[in-house]
Amino acid sequence: MSETRRIRIGENGRLEEVEVVVPDGEPAIWDADTRLSVVGTAVSRLDGLAKASGRARYTSDVRLPGMLHGRILRSPHPHARIAAIDATAAERLKGVRAVLTFERPDVFAAIAETDEAGRAIEGDARGPAAGNRSLLYAGDEVAAVAAVSADVAEDALRLIKVRYDILPHVTDLESARRAGAPPVFPDGNVRPAAVRKRGDIDAGFAQATVVVEGTWRTPVALHNALESHGAVAAWQDGGLTVWAATQGVFGCRDDLAKFFGIEAAKVRVVCEHVGGGFGAKFGAGIAAVVAAMLARKAGAPVRLMLDRAEENLATGNRPSTVQTLRVGAAADGTLTAIHLKSYGTGGIAGGAGCGGPAWNIYACPNVLIEEQDVHTNAGPAAPFRAPGYPQGSFALESALDDLAGRLGLDPLALRRRNYIDKPAKALETQYALASRAIGWDRRPQLGTAGGQDGRLRRGLGLGTAMWPVYGGPPADARVSIHSDGTVECACGTQDIGTGTRTAMAVITAEVLGVAPAAVRVSLGDTAIGLYSPASGGSVTLNSILPAVRAAAEGAKTKFLAAVAPALGAAPGDLDLAGGEVRTRDGARRMPFVQAAARLRTTVATAQASRVPNYPGRSTELFGAQFAEVIVDTWTGRVRVVRIAAAHECGRVVDRLTAESQVCGGVVMGLSTALLEERVIDHDTGLVLNANLEDYKLAGTLEMPEIVPILTEVYDPANNVGVKGLGEPPIVPTAAAIANAVSHAIGRRVRELPITPARVLDLLARPVEV
Amino acid sequence: MSDHRDDRPEEPRDPVDDVSAADRGASDDDPIDDDAAQGAGGVSRRDFLKGLGVGGGVVGAGLLAARAAAAAAPPAPRRLGPGPVSISLLVNGRSRSLSIEPRVTLLDALRDRLELTGAKEVCDRGSCGACSVLVDGRPVYACMMLALDARGRAITTIEGIGTPGKPHPIQTAFVEKDALQCGYCTPGFVVAARALLESRPNPTLDEVREGLAGHVCRCGTYTRVCAAVLAAAGRKGGAS
Repeated sequence: MSETRRIRIGENGRLEEVEVVVPDGEPAIWDADTRLSVVGTAVSRLDGLAKASGRARYTSDVRLPGMLHGRILRSPHPHARIAAIDATAAERLKGVRAVLTFERPDVFAAIAETDEAGRAIEGDARGPAAGNRSLLYAGDEVAAVAAVSADVAEDALRLIKVRYDILPHVTDLESARRAGAPPVFPDGNVRPAAVRKRGDIDAGFAQATVVVEGTWRTPVALHNALESHGAVAAWQDGGLTVWAATQGVFGCRDDLAKFFGIEAAKVRVVCEHVGGGFGAKFGAGIAAVVAAMLARKAGAPVRLMLDRAEENLATGNRPSTVQTLRVGAAADGTLTAIHLKSYGTGGIAGGAGCGGPAWNIYACPNVLIEEQDVHTNAGPAAPFRAPGYPQGSFALESALDDLAGRLGLDPLALRRRNYIDKPAKALETQYALASRAIGWDRRPQLGTAGGQDGRLRRGLGLGTAMWPVYGGPPADARVSIHSDGTVECACGTQDIGTGTRTAMAVITAEVLGVAPAAVRVSLGDTAIGLYSPASGGSVTLNSILPAVRAAAEGAKTKFLAAVAPALGAAPGDLDLAGGEVRTRDGARRMPFVQAAARLRTTVATAQASRVPNYPGRSTELFGAQFAEVIVDTWTGRVRVVRIAAAHECGRVVDRLTAESQVCGGVVMGLSTALLEERVIDHDTGLVLNANLEDYKLAGTLEMPEIVPILTEVYDPANNVGVKGLGEPPIVPTAAAIANAVSHAIGRRVRELPITPARVLDLLARPVEV
Repeated sequence: MSDHRDDRPEEPRDPVDDVSAADRGASDDDPIDDDAAQGAGGVSRRDFLKGLGVGGGVVGAGLLAARAAAAAAPPAPRRLGPGPVSISLLVNGRSRSLSIEPRVTLLDALRDRLELTGAKEVCDRGSCGACSVLVDGRPVYACMMLALDARGRAITTIEGIGTPGKPHPIQTAFVEKDALQCGYCTPGFVVAARALLESRPNPTLDEVREGLAGHVCRCGTYTRVCAAVLAAAGRKGGAS
């Protein structure tokens, strides 16, 4: 059963009325005309003080009675077979409680099916049925130990004798593509290209007045969430309980249930706080599985947190790309054809595609995208904040600036002519606000082209953000009002630092007319029994908050029915606001807590499920970023002075945490643009910078002024109208910085990161832009 | 115009860090020489290596304090280890007894033996600041100091700085400015900020950036962390 509602949608005062079909019983939709009191304001994080005082308990902080410490022995070779393992000395070491060796190919077979990174342990399953297991990268798992301390476990690892049959390896992307390269998998290193097309690019290029072409490169980057992958596993209460550093407690639970062949209901996964994820912490992963294996063998709880080197070798990365891009346009700048051909390596996993921006951001009738994964003997890729988009955006926006230069158009004017036509997008508003914040009208006077010829040159650049959001059902939530006035909101989701906990409280508070800080939020535990998707792809809030709101509305209805007699009013005449129950005319009022005491049962509770997205409404996210840089042409050093970042997330739930998402994405994008690159010595196949000294992350000294601008878009596909915000802010940052550097120095940046050496190399070439 | 590096006009300060200098022209000194960045109250690398400045960065301060502690420790009466030895540590004003192998770091002693898990292990080699504690009031990377070397020193962990019920003003400012996301780096930043404000009660934004340069935040909270520290110092924040 469904019903049709009329709502008003749009942004920045440009509103229109549309009809939406929604399921029966769906709460009133918060549309452009809805005025809310808590939602959209700046609400402090509920767990802020717990985190700032060191009391927030992360997986790495869990300490159980009798808990052992696990460590994993990893392959020192990029490609080898385990010929023999002798772990007897390790087993005999005082304090060692369990030793596992992984020399058989079947040991991790079950993990391969479940690992979201597409982990190529499956390669063993595809390989010849040898009696020993191939190790496919330096860092692959060989054995594991549980002991009374991490130090003793480490001692034990050193006592495990492994004889390796060393196999030829390849870690270099170009070498891996050549005929005769050592095969990472038996069926070769180069995967078939993924192709998508619309229109006819030959016709499109034939129509073009100007065609630009170039090749852009981006390196492998490492997630480096500060809390490493890890878990504490305990076989207790007839089942398995695992505290896991994860972005998805339910996915982790299902993986463990499957691996150990037990009912999902007998596995409980807990994650109250997690020290970052950024896409690499879906599923149980090796750490949780091995922790549980060790715990079962030792008969005691086991804590297994990976160290920083393991984190950087074995838990995920953003694949490299080499992108050859051709773009054609008519004389007025209208795009006529885009052809992207790319390849890259995610090590033993796939995921190097980067065609999203070329496909999604700008309107172009003729597009061909060919993406290809190349395997190398390096750790598996994993999704990394807006997978593929920062890389693809870098090449695309660079090419568009080339195009603007060739056509004599302002780069912003070129974008305005071509951005993709979607309903209720805020791009015009975002371009206007962010370009003003950066001072875009100064651009003709800046950069080499603007006549700057001194040591220091200033440049401006921009890029457009877009992310297709995939949120929706299933998701469940429960809201309860207790007779002591306590309000609870529960969902088995996780807060990976984005502020999920606080957003749940904000929605509950809005509906029940109480303060967000008064709402007790439960999350991060499968035992709550209320499903949530994993937190990735910007889907958390748009999946769970509509369920939270429906549950809160349900609890409110029950509550008002229960307390109506005490106010001598019909339930329909009552509302909740300002911590009170009020008649709609305001004549009769009762404090919320006093009213709650009238509940005949001790609790008014309601549970609700996420309904499908309303058809026809936008779930894409747009944004625009503008960067200002100063380049020192003597040293090649780039300093980012300011970034204006205009983004939208549909309806803003909590302005404070939403702005933090924008600033955080910009910082990560800046770090991508200027600093981050995994370095492998291809002769030995070893990663040289699997640490935080040599793998550079931006810090306070690299920080520009960041101007976050949130433009609200009302085009609700759900009863809250929230869309998501995690990915878009990282999408165009590197592109905007690269364009600003190119503008400053008059040469096109073609490779990330933009190190001083690369800038000096560019400066040695003729002026081209 | 020229890109030739010998084309060097005159200018006294680090030009890349001085926004206005870019418009004025160029500079004669090496823009990446930290000594050049001293300017308005900043602490130079040279000063800092002399052991004079907390503001110079906790990266080295931790190492420095660890070395100083090693140098200051009394001559060992006997060889310790490799087995456990009994020591006591003064942590957050309380004397705590524990038995540890001499190889145990202060960080592991705090986290695994004393269940003070606020300080986090992230890099385990003095690169990220997440494990910072105060030793005799100075910020130290607890992963770079042996627990044995902390004997007789006053150790303050994040747990000793404030509680959720009675937060330190720095902690309150972190929440108000939303200077944290996943929160894993946050205890380290708060500890460093506390040390910074002890030595420089009214820092400039640049001094805050310098003082916190030894800390990594992957969520990208830096501008808000700086704003929070300035707010806690009673200043108007300059960062977004």
